[in-house]
Amino acid sequence: MRRTRLTLATAALYTMLSPAVHADEATLQAEVDALHAEVAALKDEVRQIHAARTQAVSTVANRAAAAASNAGSAPPAAAIAESSGTSLWGYGQIDYNRPTAHAADAQADLSRAVIGFNHAFDESTRVYGELEWEHAVTSATDQGEAEVEQLYVEHALGSNYGVRAGLMLVPLGLLNEHHEPTQFYGVERNFVETAIIPSTWREGGVAGYGSTDSGLSWNIGIGTGPDLSKWNPASADGRESPLGSIHQELQLAKAHDPSVYGAANWQGIPGFTVGGGIFTGKIGQGTPEFSANNARLVLGEAHLRWQPGPFDFAVLYTRGTISDTQALNASFLSQPTPVPKSFWGGYAQGAWRALEWNQSSLAPFLRYEMFNTGAAYAAQPQGLGMPPRPTERVWTVGTNYYLNPNVVFKLDYQNFNRDDLALGYGDRFDLGIGYQF
Amino acid sequence: MHVRWLIPLGTGAAAVAQVAYAAQYMTIAQAQRAAFPAATSFDPVQPTFDAATLTELAAPAGWSPRVWQARSGDQRLGWVLEDRVIGKSELITYALALDPAGAVLSLEVLDYRESHGGEIRLPAWRRQFVGKTAHDPVALNRDIKTISGATLSCRHITEGVQRLLQVYERALRHAAG
Repeated sequence: MRRTRLTLATAALYTMLSPAVHADEATLQAEVDALHAEVAALKDEVRQIHAARTQAVSTVANRAAAAASNAGSAPPAAAIAESSGTSLWGYGQIDYNRPTAHAADAQADLSRAVIGFNHAFDESTRVYGELEWEHAVTSATDQGEAEVEQLYVEHALGSNYGVRAGLMLVPLGLLNEHHEPTQFYGVERNFVETAIIPSTWREGGVAGYGSTDSGLSWNIGIGTGPDLSKWNPASADGRESPLGSIHQELQLAKAHDPSVYGAANWQGIPGFTVGGGIFTGKIGQGTPEFSANNARLVLGEAHLRWQPGPFDFAVLYTRGTISDTQALNASFLSQPTPVPKSFWGGYAQGAWRALEWNQSSLAPFLRYEMFNTGAAYAAQPQGLGMPPRPTERVWTVGTNYYLNPNVVFKLDYQNFNRDDLALGYGDRFDLGIGYQF
Repeated sequence: MHVRWLIPLGTGAAAVAQVAYAAQYMTIAQAQRAAFPAATSFDPVQPTFDAATLTELAAPAGWSPRVWQARSGDQRLGWVLEDRVIGKSELITYALALDPAGAVLSLEVLDYRESHGGEIRLPAWRRQFVGKTAHDPVALNRDIKTISGATLSCRHITEGVQRLLQVYERALRHAAG
């Protein structure tokens, strides 16, 4: 009896609730459908990821097999890059310079042979290095140099920003970070970005980098700086490149005074780059008994590059100052190379990719440079100071012939407004070969 | 290119681990959805090319782009092609979306592995390809402006897009369905 009553109650309840149950069923069905669709989409995604992995593996295997069976074909770079996480790259440059008025000084030089590597430890950490030999032979009795030009660990914190630590290129100018011979016009690197910005300029430290979708990229860092106590007032080196003569290149570098730098570029319009940067730090490095421990270097730079169609225009201006050098220079009196208070340079360059056929192209160019490695010196007692150096003006006209985008033959003529044999200034013809891979 | 003696080394390592530094900006599935939000399916297609065509396209060894047809029910919305090119020394993975007539709808950089040159993923640079077809000149420095400091990446992506437009022209244009 009790059971019958219960059944009746349940039936009544069901009858009362049935519209609501139907409504819930409809919602439930919709949810199930949505879940079905979502699962299908996820399955599709998983299938694609799986297919990608399978394909990557088979592609690597196929490429390796193809390479093994056909030694004459190009090595499967992709396979190496993907499979081992390590890749090699490099560049080289051979130059011939013939001064027109001093033909006996004509010189041929294997100026650079570089091997670079890139090794990925995982998806966000890698080490990047560049090893360089200059002037072909390095030994106790030869003039060549062997050097580590870059060596840093990079850790990506996001898809477009991260940190680096180690020996890094200072991100100033157009050339310093992009110094492969295929990247610049003319046999030799321009004077402004060697005499004033001492390419290839690198310092040890830590840096942050990043970029935005609007085209702004930035790089800030802290680390070592030049060492003014190395200044040699008897040598021409400081007149050739003030900072080039006192850079440390992380070779047992004095690191008492940290330097800082910041640089930014905006490339929001294709073919257009505008940017600049600044580097500053005290450069006395706390040297005992040194009269210029408060000396501060400030080097600023601004540049613009515009590449409309086959044309390539660039302008760059840079200026540096070194403070508190009066006492130091007073100890250098009668020497030919005191420390400058200011130095500067600028250039304008135009190039035209006049001919292009298959992978080859011919790009004549013209560049005008002005620079002064000793534009002013700290004041000294009457009659003892050093007058400013004359400004050097150089016209360079020539052509880059790209056999393919990675192999370039160069020819140019350089006209100097003022010869200076000690610094290698004098009209000359240059020939060059360069490559990168 | 890379040193040849590394090939066996690399192949051996392939069996052990696949480590690659990569900034992943997008998965291929995300790129498909972004290009064709109304699609109900992306059906894989496997175009094949004879050796003569591969030579003509200057295709690198082992070149095998992946292709999907974007569909909404019976309607073809377009195509998504995924390919990889070497930037300076590392691979760049990118996806090209084409409308049913073979014109570029979008170019997305999926993975970038170089230390420098990542500027190629700038939207303004990628937008230069929109609307291009196999019948347009897509020449770097003329039709496609380059990015200072990312020259090789720009060049190789541009060459890659030229090849993918030919994939459409030669294999997809007349595909059934």
